[in-house]
Amino acid sequence: MVEKQNNIYWRLVDITSHYLGPAAERFIDRQVQNHLNKDPKKITQKDVEKLMDWIRGAVSLLTDNENLVEDYIGELKKLSKDKISRGTDRK
Amino acid sequence: MAKTETKDNNSLTSKTTNKLFIDALFSSIGDGAIATDEFSRIVRINSVGLSILGLKEEEVVGKWYPSIVKSVGEDGQEVKLMERLITKAYITGKPVTGRAYYLHKDGHKIPVSVTASPILLKGRPIGAINLYRDITQEYEIDRMKSEFISLASHQLRTPLSSIKTYSHMLLEGYMGKINRDQRFALKSVIDASDRMNQLTDTLLNITRIESGSMTISKKVVDLKKLAKKVVSEQSIDAETKNIAVKLRLQDKPAVANTDPFITKEIMSNLVSNALKYTPPLGRVTISIKTDKDRVVCCVSDTGIGIPKQSQEKIFNKFFRAPNVLARDTTGTGLGLYLIKSLADRINIPIWFESITGKGSKFYFSLPACMPKNTNKTTKESGKSL
Repeated sequence: MVEKQNNIYWRLVDITSHYLGPAAERFIDRQVQNHLNKDPKKITQKDVEKLMDWIRGAVSLLTDNENLVEDYIGELKKLSKDKISRGTDRK
Repeated sequence: MAKTETKDNNSLTSKTTNKLFIDALFSSIGDGAIATDEFSRIVRINSVGLSILGLKEEEVVGKWYPSIVKSVGEDGQEVKLMERLITKAYITGKPVTGRAYYLHKDGHKIPVSVTASPILLKGRPIGAINLYRDITQEYEIDRMKSEFISLASHQLRTPLSSIKTYSHMLLEGYMGKINRDQRFALKSVIDASDRMNQLTDTLLNITRIESGSMTISKKVVDLKKLAKKVVSEQSIDAETKNIAVKLRLQDKPAVANTDPFITKEIMSNLVSNALKYTPPLGRVTISIKTDKDRVVCCVSDTGIGIPKQSQEKIFNKFFRAPNVLARDTTGTGLGLYLIKSLADRINIPIWFESITGKGSKFYFSLPACMPKNTNKTTKESGKSL
């Protein structure tokens, strides 16, 4: 089944899964719901920017590797500034 | 020029005073206090915090928080980072309070009461602060209290059993004929000893759960049989109160992998609670339904219901809703607390719907399992349920 999904959300989950593995989707959902109080699937690039500090703090509690955290945040910064087509199809 | 210098000096003095004030404030906190930066590096810890952990400042400052403040469970196993209160505070963005065990430098567990909060600067998180208090004494008092209740409950059972046996014998005329007044008095004695028996059972179960001595032994349990047994056990009580008890069972098998004793306690207590708060001519219904991979049990009643403002607290220890207090002063407020504690012990969800004056529906769900295993495991366990 093909359904329209938020590209930002899935790219955010995809990036996160490189660092947090299978916990990525749940982690992002909780971050978006708690800090932005909105449906995770409806996040925008601006929201990613707003979330960055919270994500840095939470991930820093899970790993002692500051470089890895900064690498992750760097990827999120790129995502928040990238030119992204909205509402792409996703299987 | 001179004016600017004075202004700068004043500003410097003000900054220094401010820093000194913050230092004094931090070290004056009567509980342990640790502050971290956005990378979870410890930037500050007060002397109480150091003393609880048995550490020196140079062993702590600049280090990664989870590697210094180690949190363990009751069994001594390290708590997963994702489950730690400070992580939860960061994930929720709000202060989180709870109890935990921290590891002292020499390896012993210290029970602590913790409040972890993110530090916000203009709405942005820049670190976290963790306040913790050694509650060893409170734990010890709690343990002694539980031991006392457990002992007292055990000791109460023996005389109660004699009171009940001889009262029944007197009532049945084994010791000579009795008149109407004596019959009434004996029935009251039996009723009171039944209530006391129930109370001692509740207290014993609660102390077993709270002390961690209630063991779990999972088996394949036929919930339809279990429900029939519960109904049969409570039928006398229902008849006395003139309440109809109905079983609504589907044809599909309802078999779950669970602890039979705890599951029966949950169901029995829900039914006895429903009977307690349903007026005569009312109805209590037990329904069991298998839904995909869960078996959902529901105990509904046409009782007094739970007022909306009390629903949040209904599982709290000793809590009694105002409409219950108004009609029954003998309750303890332990029934639903026990039910919830039992459900938590076997890790199953319990929830309810209620309308004041119309009744309540309490649900719990268990992991379903294939019915073909029923006979085998029941045989192995040597019990028929």
